[in-house]
Amino acid sequence: MKKSIFILMFALLFVGACDDGFEELNVNPTKPSQVAASNKLTAIIKFISSERYDNWRAGMIYQSTMMQHISTTAGYWSGDKYTWNRGYASSLLDRYYGNAIKSIEDLQFQLEEENAPDEMKAIVRILRVFAYSRLTDLYGDVPYSEAGKAVLEGIFLPKYDAQSEIYPDLLKELEESAAALGTGISEFGSADVVYGGDQAKWKKLANSLMLRLGLRLIKVDPTASQAWATKAIAGGVMTSNEDIFYLQHDADNKNGIGEVFTADGNPRMSKTFIDFLQAGNDPRLPILAARRSDGSTASADLIGFPNGLDSPMLLEMTGEDNTDAYAEPNRSIITGETSPMIFQTYAEVEFMLAESNVRWGLAGDAATHYNNGVTAAMKHLSLYGENAVIADEDITDYLTANPFDTANAIEQINTQYWAATFLNEYETFSNWRRSGFPVLTPVNYPGNVTNGTIPRRLTYSESEQSTNPDNYAAAVAAQGPDVLTTRVWWDVE
Amino acid sequence: MNKKFLSFLTITLLLFFQGVTGQDKNVSGVVTDDTGSPLPGVNVVEKGTSNGTSTDFDGNYVINVDTNATLVFSSLGYKTKEVGVNGRSTINTSIAEDASELDEVVVTALGIRKETKALGYSLTEVDAEEISTIKTPNAINSLQGKIAGVNISQNATGAAGSSRVVIRGASSLSGNNQPLYVVDGIPIGNGNNGSASLWGGSDGGDGISSLNPDDIESISVLKGGAASALYGSRAAGGVIIVTTKSGKGQEGFGVEFSSSVTFDKVNTDLQDFQTEYGQGVRGVRPGSQQAAFEAGTSSWGEAYDGLSSPQYDGVSRPYSYTGNNVDKFYRSGTTFINTVAITNASENMTYRLSASDLTNEDVLPNAGLNRKSFSLNASAILGEKLTSNVNAKYIIEKVQNRPRLSDSPGNANFSVALLPGNIDVTTLQPSTNPDGSERGFSNNTFSTNPYFAAYNFNNEDVRNRIIASTSLRYDILDWLSLTGRVGIDNDIIRRTSVEPFGTAYKPLGGINDEERRYNQVDADLILAAEKDITDKFAISALVGANNNHVKSENLFLGGNDFIVPGLEDIGNTVSQSRSREYSERKIGSVYGSLELSYDRWAYVTFTGRNDWFSTLSFPGKTTPNDDFYPSVNGSLILSDAFNMPSFVSFLKLRGGYSEVAGGAQDPYSLALTYEIFGNPIQGQPLGRISGSTVPNASLVAFSKNETEIGLDMRLFNNRLSLDFAYYNNETTNDIVNVATSEYSGFSGASANLGKVSNKGVEFLVSGSPIQTKDFTWNTTVNGAYNEGLVVATDDVDSDVNLDEPRTQNVRITHIVGETYGTIVGVSYERDENGTIVYEIDGDGVPRAVEGERKILGEGVPPLTVGFTNSFRYKNFNLNFLIDGKFGGQIFSGTNTILYGTGLHKNTLEGRENGLSVSGIDVATGQPFTTTVAPEDLETYYGEINDIAEEFVEDSDYIKFRQMSIGYSLPKKSLDNVFLTDVNVSLIASNLFYIKRSVDNIDPESAYTAGNSQGLEYFGVPSARSYGLTINVKF
Repeated sequence: MKKSIFILMFALLFVGACDDGFEELNVNPTKPSQVAASNKLTAIIKFISSERYDNWRAGMIYQSTMMQHISTTAGYWSGDKYTWNRGYASSLLDRYYGNAIKSIEDLQFQLEEENAPDEMKAIVRILRVFAYSRLTDLYGDVPYSEAGKAVLEGIFLPKYDAQSEIYPDLLKELEESAAALGTGISEFGSADVVYGGDQAKWKKLANSLMLRLGLRLIKVDPTASQAWATKAIAGGVMTSNEDIFYLQHDADNKNGIGEVFTADGNPRMSKTFIDFLQAGNDPRLPILAARRSDGSTASADLIGFPNGLDSPMLLEMTGEDNTDAYAEPNRSIITGETSPMIFQTYAEVEFMLAESNVRWGLAGDAATHYNNGVTAAMKHLSLYGENAVIADEDITDYLTANPFDTANAIEQINTQYWAATFLNEYETFSNWRRSGFPVLTPVNYPGNVTNGTIPRRLTYSESEQSTNPDNYAAAVAAQGPDVLTTRVWWDVE
Repeated sequence: MNKKFLSFLTITLLLFFQGVTGQDKNVSGVVTDDTGSPLPGVNVVEKGTSNGTSTDFDGNYVINVDTNATLVFSSLGYKTKEVGVNGRSTINTSIAEDASELDEVVVTALGIRKETKALGYSLTEVDAEEISTIKTPNAINSLQGKIAGVNISQNATGAAGSSRVVIRGASSLSGNNQPLYVVDGIPIGNGNNGSASLWGGSDGGDGISSLNPDDIESISVLKGGAASALYGSRAAGGVIIVTTKSGKGQEGFGVEFSSSVTFDKVNTDLQDFQTEYGQGVRGVRPGSQQAAFEAGTSSWGEAYDGLSSPQYDGVSRPYSYTGNNVDKFYRSGTTFINTVAITNASENMTYRLSASDLTNEDVLPNAGLNRKSFSLNASAILGEKLTSNVNAKYIIEKVQNRPRLSDSPGNANFSVALLPGNIDVTTLQPSTNPDGSERGFSNNTFSTNPYFAAYNFNNEDVRNRIIASTSLRYDILDWLSLTGRVGIDNDIIRRTSVEPFGTAYKPLGGINDEERRYNQVDADLILAAEKDITDKFAISALVGANNNHVKSENLFLGGNDFIVPGLEDIGNTVSQSRSREYSERKIGSVYGSLELSYDRWAYVTFTGRNDWFSTLSFPGKTTPNDDFYPSVNGSLILSDAFNMPSFVSFLKLRGGYSEVAGGAQDPYSLALTYEIFGNPIQGQPLGRISGSTVPNASLVAFSKNETEIGLDMRLFNNRLSLDFAYYNNETTNDIVNVATSEYSGFSGASANLGKVSNKGVEFLVSGSPIQTKDFTWNTTVNGAYNEGLVVATDDVDSDVNLDEPRTQNVRITHIVGETYGTIVGVSYERDENGTIVYEIDGDGVPRAVEGERKILGEGVPPLTVGFTNSFRYKNFNLNFLIDGKFGGQIFSGTNTILYGTGLHKNTLEGRENGLSVSGIDVATGQPFTTTVAPEDLETYYGEINDIAEEFVEDSDYIKFRQMSIGYSLPKKSLDNVFLTDVNVSLIASNLFYIKRSVDNIDPESAYTAGNSQGLEYFGVPSARSYGLTINVKF
């Protein structure tokens, strides 16, 4: 027996103590337990630009066609025909929460823990406001106060906050952030791939976004709208194209919209948009559009394609169903994979100043702001490269031919806004709903789900109905049916 | 004492006679039964050696033995008889039937051989013939339909794809649920090397497919916890023990050669598409090349009239049905398997060395695999008390173009299935334009030209795998031994997949280069004792320790946008990404077992094991990282204990209770980690939280317990036997990834409160209705019914979301109170009478309203049945297998898309004069009846195609799975040649369905071997196989 006990002990020795070194073994050797705040900031900016997935679906397929910048015969381009593809409609929600929002909440927590300077926190707060404003503008009530906090606070099923409550908080965040920003370079430094850490530029952005979100309230709460616009202008908004809020993409981090055009040959320039550019003899036309068949940018060769048509309808209408003769976005200039992704421009700000002047007498002179806006919108195309540079005299000619029209100021300003935000379709769609301009003629494709009206929002992720049913149901009860025609809070009729 | 003396004597005799080989002589004779009929297949062994042979069909044997040897004659169901040679050269003998003494020996846990009568649990052993007659590239598929309670799913993933094997129901909500494979005593990796999902992809194959069917001696299936308790946590899904062939039982030097060829042909009987209407949109055929290009896969055109109409390539062709594109596109697959083995057996050493080549050309053009395997199995007696065993297998597998499945990009199956009937798939050749780019047929760039997908997407993986083990046994005393065993499984897969320059959806293309390294080392040390305490009372006991260590590493290089067209190399890309994944885990264990037997009719076995898990360990963690679990089982041979009526040959009752615990499947799931990911933008690195699952810092082991009872009854001299088992198992504290709202930032959270139960019955009835000298007929029916139930997930009964197909309107989900893996999807909105509710749109077209997501079916069929028959007439034999599965459902993505594109036969209704639709108008709540105009059918069916309920159908089937007709050359005819055994078989498999419910697809065509069973989406169509197998020994 002694011998067998000895052998048993030997056996245990052979195998080793049963859990020796197990604790260290289960620490992942390839993943750090934390990364620097600056690395997270860079990632957040990339997440805000996002990827092909949502830029294709929510951005291009739905909004660009609803806004009649783009058109196509392709049936899966649901926005062109007001049909409903749930997965496409919810794509921004599906990408933003898991990437941008999750990272922003995490970075805010880290900055608090590390007692980071207020200006760093302010930069992240501004990005957070931007991300949430995109979400709530497109979908209405969305998870806000409880979102992105599964790890931080153990909230697995966030409630949906009313847009009427989200908006005041976003504006308050902007106000506080602007106040926290001074001058000089923040500690984020060059990890801030938007402004290189320049606090003054972030401050202008905070106020410019405040102006944007303030104006969104024009229909639902004109008083608040005016108050926020006043505050934003007083705080100092963007003053030149040097202030534009955009991300420069590169071959390793491609522009999601550029990737859409790489994979998809279906989109054409909408007749509505081409007609507008041609009517004004707009120097932007050959930069934005080119003929599909041969890339010609001669104005006479650029024919806009009507929205809401499929091949048989086109055949019936024109006797021809080839769409190669029509214009498409100019692939050699604006749809490259290394193009900038633009979030807010100085031109937009000038148009908003013009409108604020018309409405409330704020900010000096509407005509000047209009002229500045048009000029900036034409000049900022140079972000797309040297082939996109518009000569000053062409701009002057354009303004001479299309001067500020006091009688139709709001329509004119917002139509220019619509033209200036081509490809930033999130903003195009929001501003169109807010202002009602340009006046777009809806299509009425067989089988559309909106009764022939332009959609007013996109719909929630289908997964919410099964994983977060109570909060989803509460949101639908509060806001109205989860369909394309339901209006968000600020979009009152 | 008697036993001890005998072994002593044997060893002494052996040693004494060692080297004295000159006195060997040939002994021959005939073995008969009591009645004088010759007995085939009787084992004749020289006592105390591994020298042996068996009788031929006429009961003849020849054996070369020592003149003073003792011959042992044994055969299943007969009493073993020993006869001394005493210098004779002819020994004719008879052996007596022994119904009650069925000393059938099987391989049990840890490789311990036991008599079946001692087992308190269900164990099924399948021998070589079942696996090596009808061979499949993945040997485990040969078990389908043959073992009650073993549910095998062969998927639509191509010849090199994975199989899913689940024993007695899946018991873990998020774990892998497949059994542990133990080959020659050591566990091997059976990880899935990639599978298709929502967005497409291909199946990377599994671990068990590396085994060469010709090397397998037997497969033991340990179904329940009592059988597998000694293997511990990894055996929670049961254990499949594979024993490879050794030189044992051979007479000296021998050579075996085996060759088989199989031809596969896609079973086009399955597809039943409409052949009356051609390509077009809203009832109109395309009027131009452009329109045809834009119409793509849409079959909503006009009735075929044979008029010349333009197609995608600008060529006008008759607008008429051009025949079955599936038939035209897929080729005849072939599989050649050739194995040669040499064996040798001497007194101190036996070995078997084999080499095998498997060459498969899949039915999908340009896809296939080649597998070369080399195997050595050797054992040696090193000394009086020391024996050793060495096993080594080296496998080189090269797979070309694993089929892309599921979503359409690069998926040839998708495009071929959906091509409108007036487009002949062969016109899509050549696959490229003059500039080398994809010659597309549709404006949807994701509908890839199938020839481009097959011939221009170059994907290849090469696998180099070594599975080796060695064991050493030292007999300390004649009743006490110490065994050490170390095994290694080292598996390296190198994979390259290219989306070529010129791909329509990715014009500049891209390349992925990947290397997956897997390494498992498993070591056991076992001290075993076996002792007869009294004449009737015996003990057998062991204690052991085990250490299991698994490392895996995945190196990945990705490149996008080729610079020089045609050069498919990572260096020739504009942008590159790289990553490395690494994981390491260990399990440490101690275990013991004690078997007590009384008078060879009562047995009871106790086991206990404690496992420590690295995956449950973390610095500062306070909850335990280990668990202890016991088991007990017993058996009573009632037919030996009591007097039974004479027709009862054998009757055994068995029963057991067991517990098994298990750790987290993957390491590093206890703590939140971050990562630097992708490539820097503007030189700035990107950082984020790693993963999308909320970690759980306090995970503890899950536990599975099982109660099993069974009955083994053999009647009428074993002519009829019945094996019946009932089991009931429950998993608690299952580690589960519960669904969270995506808006929480995470898609799931790790919880530790899952509870799953399974209960079921298994039966096996076998009979030998005819048993004469020249003709025998054996028949067996096996069946199993398993009822799985999800009892709990977390403290608020969250759903556990598994996969969804590309349609995204349906998902496999675990729901508390429902069966495992229910199919949950969009239903029709109905009124209280069940009438479908429609929205009538501006054009008057009724569009079905999407109702709530509800349970539409269960993905795993609960009832499985197999029916085997084997007939033998003289030297001919005929075997066939019919199997079936019942009670499950499948969501067919293929049928969904066929509705949307108008190729499904059901969409014919209304094409001529419109379709009458009645229902409830959602606007008014009132019934309506309207006629949908032919041009609006596309809208009408297009809406139905979003409703998953329409496409969830019963997956029931009865399949004529296998048939073989074999002929063995009579031994006598081989006497004068050097051959000793020749066998030729004609084989066929997947011949036809006797019953099938679902339209157009094979009910066994899921695209993943994971837990999400019940989803089908454009896999490789199933094929019939015919072939020939030859086995020769000399």
